[in-house]
Amino acid sequence: MAVTTHELEHAGGYAAPPRPSGWRRWTAPGWLRVLWVVPLSFILSALLVLGARAALGYETAGFGALNPFGDNFFEFGTVELQVLIVVWLVVVPLGFLAGIGGFDYWAYWISGRPSRPEDHSGHGARTWKDYFRVNTDHKVIGIQYLATTIFFFVGAGLMAMFMRAELAKPGMQFVDNNTFNGLFSVHASLMIFLFVIPAFAGLGNYVIPLMIGAPDMAFPRLNALSFWLLPIAGFIMLSSFVVPDGGAFSAGWTNYATLAVHQPVGNVFFQMAVQWAGASSIMTALNFLVTIITMRAPGMSFWRLPLLVWANFATSTLVVIATPFIAGSQFFILFDRVLHTNFFNPGEGGDVIAYQHIFWFYSHPAVYIMMLPGFGIASEVISVFARKPIFGYRLMALSLMAILILGFSVWAHHMFVSGMAPWLRIPMMVTTMLIAIPTGIKVFSWLATLWEGRIHFKTPMLFASGFVSMFVIGGLSGVYLGSIPVDIHASDTYFVVAHIHYVLFGGSLFTIFAGIYYWFPKMTGRMYNERLGKLHFWLTFIGFNVTFFPMHWLGLHGMPRRVSDYADRFGDLNFIISIASFFLGASTVVFIYNMVVSWRRGEPAPANPWRALTLEWQVSSPPPIFNFDEIPQVVGSPYEYGVRGARHAVMNGDRAEVPEREKVISD
Amino acid sequence: MVLVGVAVGGALALVAVLIPWLPEAGSTEAVKVDDVYWFVTIICIVIFALVAGVSVYSVWKFRAAPDDEDDGSPIHGHTGLEVVWTAVPAALVTAISIYSGIVLVQVEKIPADHRVIDVTAQQFAWSFEYPEAKITSGQLALPINQPVELKLSSKDVIHSFWVPEWRMKKDAVPGIASNVIVTPTKLGTFTVICTELCGLGHATMRAKALVLTQEGFDRWIQEQKDAAAAAGSVQGKTLFTQQCGTCHALADAGTTAEVGPNLDDALKGKSAEFIRESIVDPNKEIAPGFQPDVMPATFRESLSQQQLDSLVDYLLQTAAKG
Repeated sequence: MAVTTHELEHAGGYAAPPRPSGWRRWTAPGWLRVLWVVPLSFILSALLVLGARAALGYETAGFGALNPFGDNFFEFGTVELQVLIVVWLVVVPLGFLAGIGGFDYWAYWISGRPSRPEDHSGHGARTWKDYFRVNTDHKVIGIQYLATTIFFFVGAGLMAMFMRAELAKPGMQFVDNNTFNGLFSVHASLMIFLFVIPAFAGLGNYVIPLMIGAPDMAFPRLNALSFWLLPIAGFIMLSSFVVPDGGAFSAGWTNYATLAVHQPVGNVFFQMAVQWAGASSIMTALNFLVTIITMRAPGMSFWRLPLLVWANFATSTLVVIATPFIAGSQFFILFDRVLHTNFFNPGEGGDVIAYQHIFWFYSHPAVYIMMLPGFGIASEVISVFARKPIFGYRLMALSLMAILILGFSVWAHHMFVSGMAPWLRIPMMVTTMLIAIPTGIKVFSWLATLWEGRIHFKTPMLFASGFVSMFVIGGLSGVYLGSIPVDIHASDTYFVVAHIHYVLFGGSLFTIFAGIYYWFPKMTGRMYNERLGKLHFWLTFIGFNVTFFPMHWLGLHGMPRRVSDYADRFGDLNFIISIASFFLGASTVVFIYNMVVSWRRGEPAPANPWRALTLEWQVSSPPPIFNFDEIPQVVGSPYEYGVRGARHAVMNGDRAEVPEREKVISD
Repeated sequence: MVLVGVAVGGALALVAVLIPWLPEAGSTEAVKVDDVYWFVTIICIVIFALVAGVSVYSVWKFRAAPDDEDDGSPIHGHTGLEVVWTAVPAALVTAISIYSGIVLVQVEKIPADHRVIDVTAQQFAWSFEYPEAKITSGQLALPINQPVELKLSSKDVIHSFWVPEWRMKKDAVPGIASNVIVTPTKLGTFTVICTELCGLGHATMRAKALVLTQEGFDRWIQEQKDAAAAAGSVQGKTLFTQQCGTCHALADAGTTAEVGPNLDDALKGKSAEFIRESIVDPNKEIAPGFQPDVMPATFRESLSQQQLDSLVDYLLQTAAKG
């Protein structure tokens, strides 16, 4: 049999191809090429806009405005600046992607030059520098995702600290209204689009192919491209703070018409960033769907899939169906602003409420996009650390699918006081309440999984159990908000702020932490520091509750959300909340220190430190470059803890008699 | 386990009862809404006590020693239990839905005999028009124990009308008519709060809501009428009360709002040009302690030249008097 590149790789005889030298370094994919392609696309697209405006006789500052030494440098009119920004935010990211090498393979293929199907030069990371290149290895991409999202998590968290500093006392102290509104808008946008959603995509990227016994994702190049769209979206959102003429977008992450249409030009940054982040989401989700449907190892039937894979399947379906709606809603706003359409202009027959329907048709399912992968991670972690099969596996999987379907029928519960068609409210309340049933099934099944277990409270388990209890609080406050009479009182107040943070911080963020600690040994080949992990958990858990629980009371008593100033009688409680939030912010330092130091100097991790049964733990830590030397044969459920002799899979052609459990552990 | 659950439930019930979670109920609607709130609370306490009870008990009872390498019991499920925890929550949320639906219909029913007040929201002020008495005010005044329909509209972006003590809230949406039905039952001064982000002055968009006795209300209406009549031919004063008084205090016009600068102080010794410019181009010069973009720059279009002249004249005279 001929020796293939794959086998060479596995034999360790495969090295990265030599990097280009001399002037070719400037034309090869990478940061040097970005250095000249990005300014070039910036200038060319500006010339195009200015030229077109001059030719059509519109008001223009002329080409002189591009000359840094000219006397009218960058003095564009409001209208022209907005057009320029839209074109830049389309063209420059494409220039960046072309420069970094996101399109190289396709360009070869389209232009008829020989493509290189067996070229794995972009596969695997040999040095830290490889994490800054276009790489098609799902394990590298997973870590790229996680590092990027944690960067934006810290940024958005710091914005929350600024807000809490301003809110510590009534009156205005540190920032003006414009900055404050920008802070909470960008905070929410980054947390949602650049942290929670892609952090789950990153964990899934690393783990899903391993869990189903696949060598990689179905479309590795698409996978790389969808990662590189993310830093673009994040950079656009952050850079909106330095926009001359009005600063960051400040109409909230919901960006309601008609306020959004009348905002300064910074608002365009939100619309365009959402397009890039949304495109990234959709491509990744398609990739997950195809991978899960077509690349499962032999014997891996749907009823043998780990629940994280089920959760990812449901999430990806939600993303593919729902995300185009937020893209649409932001395009409508953009068209109203730039093309002077009247989608949301009531004076010209536009419908203001229509925006909210389109927006929430994505943004409610988005809550499940941010929640279901967390459910999956919690199921993995709880089963492994309780040393028990997951309770009611099939009902757990089916309730994920029930949430997926019901999730599309509840969007207007965000609009009970919006003045929408009154008849729509009761049906939306009923479907909203129904979602409590599959969610309840999940919570009760996790609790039943703990029952009669042998529970080891390692850091991932602490975060997973913290998640269950905090998520229950978020779920129950959701029942209050689902009841229309109570919602009429509580909507748009701090009660809602408390609710969403119990769901997205207590829910999503706790499971992201659980997932990162749980797979850290697999990803890095080193153990994290357990003591620091536990310290991180307790700081987070206490800080989180003291920060967000009192907000329920504030909201019910009359403090609206999204305000920089409030009635004096709320001063004391807000001061306590602010102190607790700084404490909570500081806990992140412990986390990052643990991650960085453990990755560099942690104890080497065994292949399977948690004695787990799922496939990713049956290979070395970190896994070989193509995951499995031989595709495993799946023979049973992934959660058969305590069942003597039960196996999930047969590895490496080991078709011998099923060995004793002890032997499996010592592998 | 049951003991832990009861202990947690008891503690939660104390927290729920000892802390006043809701502001005082100031309308008949508020009483009904609060009943729903407490109904949901009782169900939530039971569920949370169950969850917390099982969690605490499991942590205490099933915790493994660090060197314990055994597995737990291989329990895969229990059909009976799974049916129970599907059916019981289904029954509970159905009950909540039905009760909420009934209360919703009750609190939104428009009584046969009710007063109508037109509420107009704009960045960043409320104005209240009483069609019967033909007056407009920056304050909302209502007689106690009489149902009222507030018809909401907005001139620019979405705002939301909320008085926490009344428990009622509704968005004021440009291009759409919406309403709030309320029957206030507590005398006093409350705050109308805008709860939908409407721009830079959102946090300052407040108005006073006065609930008065019938006599007090009649007197208030008469005072407003007298003030309007006194303004009489002085078109500028009327304009000021309607358009500017919702944000600016001016002793002569009897307005007391604090969103914008107090004009008794701010206009002292200023020229007509300065006043005119401050109205049509409010960002040109910002009074110390205030922020740009809070005052709408729309008066340049919404006021006619003649209206603007009379407003400037009025303010100039008032400033000279003061």
